[in-house]
Amino acid sequence: STTTLTTPQNQVEGLMHQLADEAGLDLNMELPQGQTGSVGSSVASAEQDELSQRLAKLRDQM
Amino acid sequence: MASKSKDSGEVIKNYHKQAFEYVSKALRIDEDDSGAKEEAVQWYKKGISELERGIAVEITGQGEQYDRAKRLQDKMVTNLNMAKERLSLLEATMASKRRSD
Repeated sequence: STTTLTTPQNQVEGLMHQLADEAGLDLNMELPQGQTGSVGSSVASAEQDELSQRLAKLRDQM
Repeated sequence: MASKSKDSGEVIKNYHKQAFEYVSKALRIDEDDSGAKEEAVQWYKKGISELERGIAVEITGQGEQYDRAKRLQDKMVTNLNMAKERLSLLEATMASKRRSD
């Protein structure tokens, strides 16, 4: 059997909060335009990284 | 680009979102040994076309804004290549299976 890496919704939300914390932002706050963009980009970036990791794992199984 | 008014970073992010959803679905099926690989293939294809659209977006803006968008696009290129690689492998496996059935 294989250990799979799935990411439940709550983990994704946890990650978003973690990123927001690092950026010193409160997700429930109304954010100025520039800052929402930066948090969103960090999340997008992290999500792309996650896909890379999962794809690499599948590749290595072969 | 038709919509010059929209921030290119936002446009890229939207393609990313769609691609992430599709490729995640493909992975969830693909990571399961008993998963229906034909279904995974369909999701990979959808994800790949979204990634291609996002990569094709010309980045406007400059400085930090440009760098962020560029970094995201670079990661999308990596995943596009990896997803394509995985897709062709799955298709080859399915084809050889069909032959031996």
